[in-house]
Amino acid sequence: MQTGSVNKQQKFTISLIGPILLAGFLCLSAAGGSLAWGTTAQAPQSSWFVDMNLFSTSAHGALKCEECHGPMVGMDKSHPDEKSPAFMKQDPKRTFDYGMCQKCHKKSYDRYQNGEHAKAMKKEKETGQVSKTGFAPTCGDCHSAHYSKSHVSRVETGKAMTETCGTCHPDQRDSYLANYHGKAAVNLAHEKAASCTDCHGAHESLSLKDNPQTLTTCQRCHPDATENFADIIIHDSALHADKKNETKQSGLTKVNILGFLSYVFIVLVLAFFYGHSFLLMLRKLHEKLRK
Amino acid sequence: METTQRSTKTYQRFSVLHRLLHIIIIVNFTLLAITGFLLRFSNWDWAGFLVSLMGGAAAAGTLHRFSAVFLYVGILIHVCWLFYYKFALKGQWFGPASLVPKTKDFSDLYQNLRYVFGKGKPPMFDRFSYLQKVDYWAVMFGMQSMGITGLFMWFPEYFSTIFPGYWINVANHFHFHEAVLAVLYIGIVHMSDTHFLPEVFPIEKSIFNGKISEERFKQEHPEEWKRVNPVQE
Repeated sequence: MQTGSVNKQQKFTISLIGPILLAGFLCLSAAGGSLAWGTTAQAPQSSWFVDMNLFSTSAHGALKCEECHGPMVGMDKSHPDEKSPAFMKQDPKRTFDYGMCQKCHKKSYDRYQNGEHAKAMKKEKETGQVSKTGFAPTCGDCHSAHYSKSHVSRVETGKAMTETCGTCHPDQRDSYLANYHGKAAVNLAHEKAASCTDCHGAHESLSLKDNPQTLTTCQRCHPDATENFADIIIHDSALHADKKNETKQSGLTKVNILGFLSYVFIVLVLAFFYGHSFLLMLRKLHEKLRK
Repeated sequence: METTQRSTKTYQRFSVLHRLLHIIIIVNFTLLAITGFLLRFSNWDWAGFLVSLMGGAAAAGTLHRFSAVFLYVGILIHVCWLFYYKFALKGQWFGPASLVPKTKDFSDLYQNLRYVFGKGKPPMFDRFSYLQKVDYWAVMFGMQSMGITGLFMWFPEYFSTIFPGYWINVANHFHFHEAVLAVLYIGIVHMSDTHFLPEVFPIEKSIFNGKISEERFKQEHPEEWKRVNPVQE
């Protein structure tokens, strides 16, 4: 009698463990957002003034303002020019002379000058029109001169990239994140998986439309890759299919058709067998309860 | 309530090899599903944490490939057994006890549907009912398609030398859809038509201990019973 009741007590305690663990998990997941591992780099409070606390911990924290901003006087005007009607209305990213950056970052600067973004910039200046994607970016559009930190891990940089590049290229970001590379690198923190700049180059920003160039890119991680390998579609969104070469365009159409067919197939198979199992179970339960 | 004494006599239904293979499939199938879906749905909040518990994305990938090879070796052992036992030893493939689909399966399906709607008696199954055959062939064909598409993604460098590059993308779609099908089929259909039946709920033990009771034998596989015990009819 006594042993029986003790066993009951134990069973009761054991059966409680499940719900308690579940509750703990739920609490943790609710709190997850505010805990340390969930937070990203702090954003500065104001976009008008430089947050010196953040600046001093950034990669450029040891530089003096004048080293990048010059003497703050040019063409007989001081900067900022308080009398100008456009005072505080201009976007410094569009007016700042990023030629300054090459004092220390010569290689990156030269690569940028040879890259797609610089070409877009040239076009923008010639035609006076901004492309559909947005302003052709200069250094400051991707890098925060005041707040970017140094010694950021490869995984963190890759994660930040999806946001930086994704600001102007949201579809490419989404298709990258739907691809194995994006899932492994961004979601699962896999160091060997490629992030945006591993393929496209940070400062050259290649479109990788031409296959010989794409293949050389693939071969950096897949040394055995041959010609057809470069036809594997990484950004499989239909939205920008027109920017791909012809092989990839026709490939993408076939992939979508076959993918749709296999989707229809599994829906039909499951619908049939779910219906079958459900009805059979109802009948069996019916007979069991009647007995 | 029935008051007749239940017969405790049991019959051997599954051999040790088949019980072992079933367990190999359970373990590896589960591992494959977990690691695979953690990659596919890695944007889920807990995916990164769970994968880090496995030792990171690379380790989870290795586990996925290891389980896949393990599972496929199980399938190969089964095929070897088929050739040795069914062909070399018994010399017949398509007997009434085999898993090969027959016209009877379609009439059984029709009769079962009539039974489900209360218009007849349940069909008289032989050693394997048509649902058990579907369970078997679903795994058998599923492993081939998962294996091939999996190899495409495992060795894209090699396969893109033979096939166009977009086939790797196609393999990716097929692999995922087939995985969803497999998990939703095994999780619901196989469970409800085998383990969750009111007679055996919550588990059908015969695939684990190899035994089936006389009562269940007569009830579930009457045709086989007739063949095996013609005298006792």
